[in-house]
Amino acid sequence: MFHAKSALGSVVAVNALVLACGCGGGSSAPKTYVDRVPLPADTMTVLADEIGHYGGRFVFGATSAPKTFNPLMANENSSTDVTNQLFTSLADFDLGRQVDIPVLARRWEIGADGRTWTFHLRHGARFSDGWPISASDVLFSFEVGADSTLHSSVHDLITIDGRPFDISAPDSYTVVVRTPRVLALTLAYVGSVRIVPRHVLEPAYRAGRYASAYATSTPPESLVTSGPWRLESYAPGEKVVLARNPYWFGVDTKGRRLPYLDQLVYLVVPDQNALALKFQAGEVDGIDNVRPEDYATYEKGQRAGHYVLHDLGPSLNTNFMWFNLNRVRKTASGRRVGDPQVGAVKYAWFSDVRFRRAVSMAIDRDAIIRSVLFGQGVKNWTLQTAGNRVWHDDSIRGPDHDPDGARRLLAGMGLRDRNGDGVLEDLHGNPVRFTLSTNADNTLRVQMTNFIRDDLARVGIACIPAPIEFNTLIASIRETFRYDAMLLGLGSGVPPDPAMAQNAYRSSGMSHYWNAGQPRPETPPEAEMDRLIATNAGTLDLAERHRTTHELNRIWNDQVFTIWMPTVITRLPVSDRFGNVHPVILPNRVLWNIDRVYVKTPRPGG
Amino acid sequence: MRTYVLRRLLQAIPLLIGITALTFLLLQLAPGDFLGTMAENPAISPATIADLRHRFGLDQPWYVQCLLYLRNVLFHLDFGESFSRHQPVFAVLREGLGNTLLLATAAALVTWGLAIPLGVWAAVHRNGWSDRLLSVVAFAGLSVPEVLSGLLLLFLAARTGWFPVGGMRSLDWEGLGAGARVLDVAHHLVLPALVTGLVPLAGRMRQMRGTLLDVLGLDFVTTARAKGLPEHAVIYKHALRNALNPLITLFGYTLGALVSGSFVAEIVFAWPGLGRITYEALMTRDTYLVLGGVLMASVVLVLGNLVADLLLAFSDPRIADV
Repeated sequence: MFHAKSALGSVVAVNALVLACGCGGGSSAPKTYVDRVPLPADTMTVLADEIGHYGGRFVFGATSAPKTFNPLMANENSSTDVTNQLFTSLADFDLGRQVDIPVLARRWEIGADGRTWTFHLRHGARFSDGWPISASDVLFSFEVGADSTLHSSVHDLITIDGRPFDISAPDSYTVVVRTPRVLALTLAYVGSVRIVPRHVLEPAYRAGRYASAYATSTPPESLVTSGPWRLESYAPGEKVVLARNPYWFGVDTKGRRLPYLDQLVYLVVPDQNALALKFQAGEVDGIDNVRPEDYATYEKGQRAGHYVLHDLGPSLNTNFMWFNLNRVRKTASGRRVGDPQVGAVKYAWFSDVRFRRAVSMAIDRDAIIRSVLFGQGVKNWTLQTAGNRVWHDDSIRGPDHDPDGARRLLAGMGLRDRNGDGVLEDLHGNPVRFTLSTNADNTLRVQMTNFIRDDLARVGIACIPAPIEFNTLIASIRETFRYDAMLLGLGSGVPPDPAMAQNAYRSSGMSHYWNAGQPRPETPPEAEMDRLIATNAGTLDLAERHRTTHELNRIWNDQVFTIWMPTVITRLPVSDRFGNVHPVILPNRVLWNIDRVYVKTPRPGG
Repeated sequence: MRTYVLRRLLQAIPLLIGITALTFLLLQLAPGDFLGTMAENPAISPATIADLRHRFGLDQPWYVQCLLYLRNVLFHLDFGESFSRHQPVFAVLREGLGNTLLLATAAALVTWGLAIPLGVWAAVHRNGWSDRLLSVVAFAGLSVPEVLSGLLLLFLAARTGWFPVGGMRSLDWEGLGAGARVLDVAHHLVLPALVTGLVPLAGRMRQMRGTLLDVLGLDFVTTARAKGLPEHAVIYKHALRNALNPLITLFGYTLGALVSGSFVAEIVFAWPGLGRITYEALMTRDTYLVLGGVLMASVVLVLGNLVADLLLAFSDPRIADV
């Protein structure tokens, strides 16, 4: 007996000890930050609702850890979310106002040819080690970015038709960028190049080791940054702690250096449910992903949980469905080049705009918004959703719910229920049936496919939802093209500009999903869209760009290339202890203005 | 004895090669590769993707990739580089291995610290209500999925504040004293160790109960009782010592399985271990990182089994003579 007792007894004792420790989480009285570094000649004044004060930290819950701290090699969000805080660029896109803003460049001029951009750098800007940031660092960053042996994440943005941007520096505070032709998005492309310190990284670059430089194993003190933050510590897989860059040139309207916060912490919690619990327990101040079905829970818990559920408006991410109009492009057994991937029978329906319009008219989007999105959604008919301030076009509408109209269109195509089984048949007796795939991990889309099935059954079309794993899905829309119809969506780039969606508009683009990568446009409307997007992406004339965007979206909807689904209204909870918190719809939604966020009310008991 | 260990280690090499080839094949059978998701990024051109695919060797047939990999591993001890992190695979995995071993050890303590006393209790009170209750509870623990029990415990932690909601250390861990640091990690360790450790508990407890019952039926126990020894001396001094022998071997095998056993808890409890790195690598098809992770778990498994056999050899010298 004593055996069992003592074993259990010791477990309890350890627990008690641990519990006692957990309550008294050590905190020595923090000292308020005193800015002792003289401000640079050219400061950047950052607008904010309130003037804040120094101190405190913000803990952000991230679902995965950064893979690298190298801004020119970082390729996915978990890394770029952090590197964008660590490294600045000549110009940036203000996610709050959705406009381009000068950052390291205090201003720029555009030459009469529209291809020559002259950027004037801020005097006195410094890296986090105190070393001055000059045109030579900008040249180095562009050289690394355009290096075709390196495949940096910005390589294809600053290389047009195989020719890199031509960069020169007449003096150490001026950078001249010449693009191969006029590009609507020159500023965005230039801004994508984050400025890295030449004095630190050039030896690694010349030695061919740039890709592994600034890996996550880099000691924090040797990671020299150009942005508002520097790396304080990184615990692999656990957390990234950023501290203010004491040399940063951003100031508030009273001329005090930003950021206000002492620390910005990215806490890694891979499981979404665990992250939600951690947020509600107050261990995390902000998260970036809440499902619409959880909005009500968060709304109720606001007061007790000391947070505010912010309404960000319609998401920039779209949902749409399309029919597979792709053709066989490589010879394979039993399939000739040029044959429709779905076979002649289905292709005859799918390629008929009346069929696509009828499907679009069969779908009750209001019901989907009510049931799948819990009322938190809006109808959407273009790649530029209502959340897009500059490019959303409310005059564009696609074919909306009208089941009788849908039935008439289908009857006009000769599709009838010939055997009385409730499903239409074509002239040869083939039942009108197709599978609708979507990615299984997106529960909203899976539920949408179920609604689509029911709506289509009402007009006599048999639609079979088939949720599939994401990598399989990518392979089907990129390589195998073996599917009937797909429900997916496109996220928005930054800036949310139509020229960022060239891959979708252009018939040769791979996101022109319904018939991707066409060698030559197959239909006249697609040829017209190719011309329009080329004009749109190749001019700086804003009026012309709006006109062409409108035309592009009009043709898209006339042809019903995609059947549009509603877009979610995004809501995000953020702790109420902070001032200047203003989440926006563009990524990074919570932390985009973290340089001006400050602690309003200290943590209770902390 | 030395030759026995050496032989066992040499036998492990073809096993590990086989595991590598199998993992390679499975990764290849699954659709898509590391560059597949990158292709969805409009900022990256198809030409870049093709070039990268060539550079990573992903345009080769799987067996060529596999042979190249094995050649690098066997002749250069080069386990490749992670595609996404641009770092050698083992530099990445090393970050997680220690944490996984810590969790695994704690889980083993939970399993065995509970299995032995509870198994003894159940054997002594055979077929009593406490015996039945213990087996019901243990099997309930066995049948509830780890994800669910993990989330339930997290929910409890969030509600009561008795335990941290996942993670391995407090945010202010660096500012704590040495003793407080250890206690802080221990505090974070309790729930994930419970979740991981309770799964094999039912089996081990029944094993303990069974062997002890077997021994209690043997002649020397009857003799001891006939001598008039008090019951607790019969059980703990004579019977239990003999019953523990087979469990020692079992303990070694558990060691091997522990690393793989803690993967679920690592994800639910945000424990920065090997399992999470491997899982994330698998999701993004970071081939060499997956292979490295699988290989590392396999090595631990092989070593665990070796320890098991050595323990067995110690308790029964006839094995080592074979």
